[in-house]
Amino acid sequence: MEYFRALRAVVVTSCFLGVGLLGGQTAAAENLFGSDEGKFLLTAGFNDLEGSGGGGLVPLAFITGYGSSDSWGANAHFTSIQLKDFQLRTYGAAVGALDRVELSYTRHEFNVTGTPLDGLGVSQDILGLKIKLLGDAVYDQDSWLPQICVGAEYHKNDGIDHAAQAGLAGVTRVTQLGASAAHGTDIYLAATKIFLAESLVVNAAVRATRANEFGLLGFGGDRKSSDSYEPEGTIAWLPTRRLAVGSEIRTRPRNLTLDDESTAYDVFVGWTPTKNLSLVAAWLNLGGVLGPATGVTRHQDGPYLSIQAGF
Amino acid sequence: MPSPMRLWLGCLGLAACIAAGNAARAESGGLTLFDRLGGEAKLRATVHEFVLIMESDDRINFTFANTDLKKFEQLLYEQLCNLTQGGCPYTGRDMYTAHAKLNITNAEFNALAEDLYEAFDRVHVPYRLQNKVVAMLAPMQHDVVKDHPVSQNPAVAK
Ligand code: HEM
Repeated sequence: MEYFRALRAVVVTSCFLGVGLLGGQTAAAENLFGSDEGKFLLTAGFNDLEGSGGGGLVPLAFITGYGSSDSWGANAHFTSIQLKDFQLRTYGAAVGALDRVELSYTRHEFNVTGTPLDGLGVSQDILGLKIKLLGDAVYDQDSWLPQICVGAEYHKNDGIDHAAQAGLAGVTRVTQLGASAAHGTDIYLAATKIFLAESLVVNAAVRATRANEFGLLGFGGDRKSSDSYEPEGTIAWLPTRRLAVGSEIRTRPRNLTLDDESTAYDVFVGWTPTKNLSLVAAWLNLGGVLGPATGVTRHQDGPYLSIQAGF
Repeated sequence: MPSPMRLWLGCLGLAACIAAGNAARAESGGLTLFDRLGGEAKLRATVHEFVLIMESDDRINFTFANTDLKKFEQLLYEQLCNLTQGGCPYTGRDMYTAHAKLNITNAEFNALAEDLYEAFDRVHVPYRLQNKVVAMLAPMQHDVVKDHPVSQNPAVAK
């Protein structure tokens, strides 16, 4: 099962990698897929945890892909995160059209690799939609108006695997761990400003959510089952035309007694050698995860590595 | 231990202060952006490289098919010198008028900016200064790009 999943992720990613590189950016007006690849380097963003165009943790008000306002773009990504006792792999694809609308799909495969719950697995699917409302992050250098997007992320949790192995025989659904529901939708508003003269990108977002650990532990819980409004932020410095170095932060609700969920943050380096390839290396800290359930309350931090291919 | 969000915002504030301090220092040093870019020699070399790069860039070179490139090079130099406080008068047309008939798209606008970045790279102007120039040019998109442009590029299938 494990090997099958890993293999599937590798195959999907390498297919897209191939397609992305095939599309190829040349000095011609269009690539093989009719995309003009007409946006600046880095302005497609990377893929955030939920697959939307963003940094690694927080969405940006950029529309993914390198298609300009008269064109389209698409990409696929594979991300691997190894925290002290938990592992998350995500892969998916995203499409941006007319520099206005973004659609994304991402699969999460989460595994417990330490603590008494070692072996437990959870997976979910996430569908994202993002729409640019106003502003232009690149052209509006003479105004304070940021580029503003509204987005929605529908999560559907697939349930829990190998619970017996982790001493939770009979547990197959996140609702058995206290969540109110196995699916939920986050709505967010993101505002991104490129201060080009200072080579800085600043982003602020607010999210209406009742997700527990990004939805991996379901939605709502015994402590709180209604939406919380959570701020998020990104700051990035652009030392070169192809590099972004920065940090992201994202506060999160605490809905479950079993999970000491808290603010997540990271520091990252994103590198976009061409419009067809991006790599992100980050250090991610989620704070406590499932501390009350496992008795292991240490901070869960570790490396985050992501590859994106597309056009 | 302060909350991560406070710590993060604190660091952000600190970074902003340092950046503002640096900017203030650069300005109080009395150097214009024109000087910092390397003055007339560097800017003329940049514009010259830019024209060479543009000529071989199939995304945009067709728009210049009927243009006197010597004259264009001089006018672009004047404009950049003027914008960066180099003290040159700009003797060309305004941006709206100069590009009115060209049906320029956003992708073509960005391609031209990429060629300019490339030109700056070739003459070794640091990226952070390149961005200061492009930041002044970016808002010209409103005058240069039409609302519903149809690319005139012969290489684009219609
Ligand atoms: C911020 C971006 C731009 C700046 C600063 C700029 C600057 C200039 C200047 C100073 C001139 C000379 C004006 C005159 O003849 O009086 C000019 C003309 C011209 N520009 Fe631009 N330009 C920009 C964007 C573009 C783009 C994106 C294209 C096409 C892809 C383009 C194509 C042309 C052409 C073809 C001419 C010559 C027009 C003629 O010969 O009548 N420009 N531009």
